[in-house]
Amino acid sequence: MKKRRWLSFLILSFVFLCLAPGMSFSLQTKPLVLGTTDKITVLDPAKTYDFYTWEVFQNIGEGLLKYKPGTTELIPGIAKSYEVSPDGLEYTFKLREGLKFTDGYPLNAAAVKWSIDRVMKLDLDPSWLVSAFVERVEVVDTYTVKFVLKEPVSFFPALVATTPYTPVSPKSFPEDKVAEPTVGHYGPYRIKKWTRDVQLVLEANPDYYGSPPKSRLFVVKFYKNAATMRLALETGEIDVAWKSLRPIDIRDLKAKGKQKVLEVPGPYIRYIVCRCNKPPFDDVRLRRAIAAAIDRARICQEAYKGTVKPLYSMVPMGMWGHIDAFKQEYGERNLELARKILTEAGYSKDNPFNIEFWYTPTHYGDLEADVAAVIKESLEETGMIKIDLKSAEWATYAAEYLTAGVMPIFLLGWYPDYIDPDDYTSVFLHSEWSPDMGVFYSNPEMDRLLDKARTEIGIEKRTQLYEKIQKLMAEEAPVIPLFQGVLTAATQPNVKGVVLDPVMLLRYYLIYKE
Amino acid sequence: MASLRVYVIRRVLVAIPMIFILLGIVFFIMRVVGDPVSAILGGHAPQEQIERIKEQLGLNKPILFQFFDYLGQLLRGDLGRSLIWGQRPVISEIWDHFPATLELSICAFLVSILVGIFTGIIAATNFGRFFDHAFRLYGIITYGLFIPWIGIMLQLIFGVYLGVLPIGGRIGTLMEPETITGLYVLDSLLTLNMESFISAIRHLILPSLTLGIYLSGIYTRLTRTHLIEVLNKDFIKSAWARGLPKRTVIFKHALKNAFIPILTMMGLQFALLLVGAVLTEITFSWPGMGTLLFERITYRDFTTVQGIIVFFALIVITVSLLVDVIYAYIDPRIRY
Repeated sequence: MKKRRWLSFLILSFVFLCLAPGMSFSLQTKPLVLGTTDKITVLDPAKTYDFYTWEVFQNIGEGLLKYKPGTTELIPGIAKSYEVSPDGLEYTFKLREGLKFTDGYPLNAAAVKWSIDRVMKLDLDPSWLVSAFVERVEVVDTYTVKFVLKEPVSFFPALVATTPYTPVSPKSFPEDKVAEPTVGHYGPYRIKKWTRDVQLVLEANPDYYGSPPKSRLFVVKFYKNAATMRLALETGEIDVAWKSLRPIDIRDLKAKGKQKVLEVPGPYIRYIVCRCNKPPFDDVRLRRAIAAAIDRARICQEAYKGTVKPLYSMVPMGMWGHIDAFKQEYGERNLELARKILTEAGYSKDNPFNIEFWYTPTHYGDLEADVAAVIKESLEETGMIKIDLKSAEWATYAAEYLTAGVMPIFLLGWYPDYIDPDDYTSVFLHSEWSPDMGVFYSNPEMDRLLDKARTEIGIEKRTQLYEKIQKLMAEEAPVIPLFQGVLTAATQPNVKGVVLDPVMLLRYYLIYKE
Repeated sequence: MASLRVYVIRRVLVAIPMIFILLGIVFFIMRVVGDPVSAILGGHAPQEQIERIKEQLGLNKPILFQFFDYLGQLLRGDLGRSLIWGQRPVISEIWDHFPATLELSICAFLVSILVGIFTGIIAATNFGRFFDHAFRLYGIITYGLFIPWIGIMLQLIFGVYLGVLPIGGRIGTLMEPETITGLYVLDSLLTLNMESFISAIRHLILPSLTLGIYLSGIYTRLTRTHLIEVLNKDFIKSAWARGLPKRTVIFKHALKNAFIPILTMMGLQFALLLVGAVLTEITFSWPGMGTLLFERITYRDFTTVQGIIVFFALIVITVSLLVDVIYAYIDPRIRY
């Protein structure tokens, strides 16, 4: 009997220990914990080509230049200054002296050259950001490195701020293959522990030249779904819920008011692509009819519950050079104009324009089918268009159908590679690259304007050129912008220093708990 | 004994073609759904790059050659490399994720057995009364429930409203024990890290309950049916007549005899346990094989998906084989 009583006591004690809320034996300072549904794909700047891993590199690494938090202004990073040659072909960077990677290897001009050469030699996914522009890298002296470009590129400083330009240590990274060491970087944080798909533990890098991170220990927890991450925020398991909460969660969190919800326009855009080289959309009138009939406000409200903003240009709002080109051309929505154009093109209520409209349910989140349904309804409101919705899983959609020109009109989204209007225009509108995006658009005047804007150095002249580009784009509508994403982070009330800006990469080193 | 040995050898020989048939099905179905190279390169790559990758991966060969190459590779114990991101060896991906699934599966299995047998006993010993009807209904409902729904309900009740249990992940922040087996509960015990041990147990409770409850219904029904049958046998009646206590009659005499079909079901349930683990892992952000499989199907990472399926198949076939052999050992009448 006595034995059983002891056993019961032990079991009860264990259950109590397990269920005691917030139980912790730890006496150390609690780290700041951020949750995300994204993942680290490959922790090597020569291979990684996704936003989240780039964000990690912004915190464990640093480029020659970097963005001033909260702005799109470029400021010195590991380079203290730089000069451009008069012909715009040579960029010479002066590095900060005495820096060393987390494996102890010196960070100097030779290391920078080695890292850039490695990216070009490995020739992997993001390497075009270097090799398409850089002819060669030269070591001028221990702390001076020179980039010789293939042709003048007005946005080269923005390219230098991207992750493939982040130097890594020759001591920890092999020259001829991809590797994921947890040392050999240089940034505000260094990696303390990384368990793939589970958590990333960062600690302040004592050798960092700048201000130390606001939180000495920073933990990133990786979630498989947004619902669990939202619950983790509500139960206090995480301090910050970052990319990506669902619109319904954002709305609920705002309504409850227990956590802070921060929002700024992000550089993520969604748009419709018309395949311009084959019927029916080789007829500009039909593209214009779609552009006039589309109901952006309804997509934002019905599918996204107001968590995204209608967009009237491919250059996002908040970026220099942006104009509401489609609004100027068609108004917010103009059904009468759409009907008029369709009539001119030979369509009527009895002879509607029948078209397959494609979307993918496996890449842009759960709401994509809703977006497609709203588009179908808004276009069919003309009474002269009949939409047949078609879908394909992402790998087939993006890798096969898109470039093969299978889909006459379809939905797509864009995250920028570098923060410049060029990244939102050339790739869709220049005849050289638009086939890669399924647009197949070719207009010599557009090519001329884009080429000029890429090489022009002065920002006023570039702004004027991008305004012209956007106007021509709205007139011809090869791509039709729909909406711009909003960057959202939800935090506990005592969390400060979350800076959301168009760069879209969260700086962990600014975040702290009061 | 000789006939048992023959039986075991025969069962092993039958299992080999089963594995190859399964491999063939997975291999060819994966190729039907699309081209892995375009999935790797994203469709914007120049033709020469596509050709280069195809050559590297042997995808320029006729499909039958590719299949036999793959079989040869498997026989050498090589599951290949992932097609995406860092192109890590598939075996490394599996070893990174398998301990999490194993830990969850063991706990969920225990929960399903304990809950199932306990509710089955109560139903059988209260035959025709309220608890019998209630647990019969429980057996039917749990089998029809959707795992993410059970998971979310438990997360809301114990995580959000009561705030007593964590709602996702395997362990608390910065509490991972030193890796020995990859099973956090075991590793924390081996390293005498009580903080990690408690945290690992706390994180295991809700996912194990979710999967365990889902799988327990079948045991409830089985235990109830067979226990009722056994309770009506003469030797039980004589046990009652001898005045033996209720606990002795039920646990020592009746349950022992009703246990054989339950044991068989345990083997059969194993495949279902792995399937259920996929959904449970996604619901609880549990970093196991299920979440890995789900993610890699989305990215059309053929080699990893094939590797995981081969791995799962080997486990299921081995467990079925073991159950069959144990069964044949216990009951000499069984020879197929």
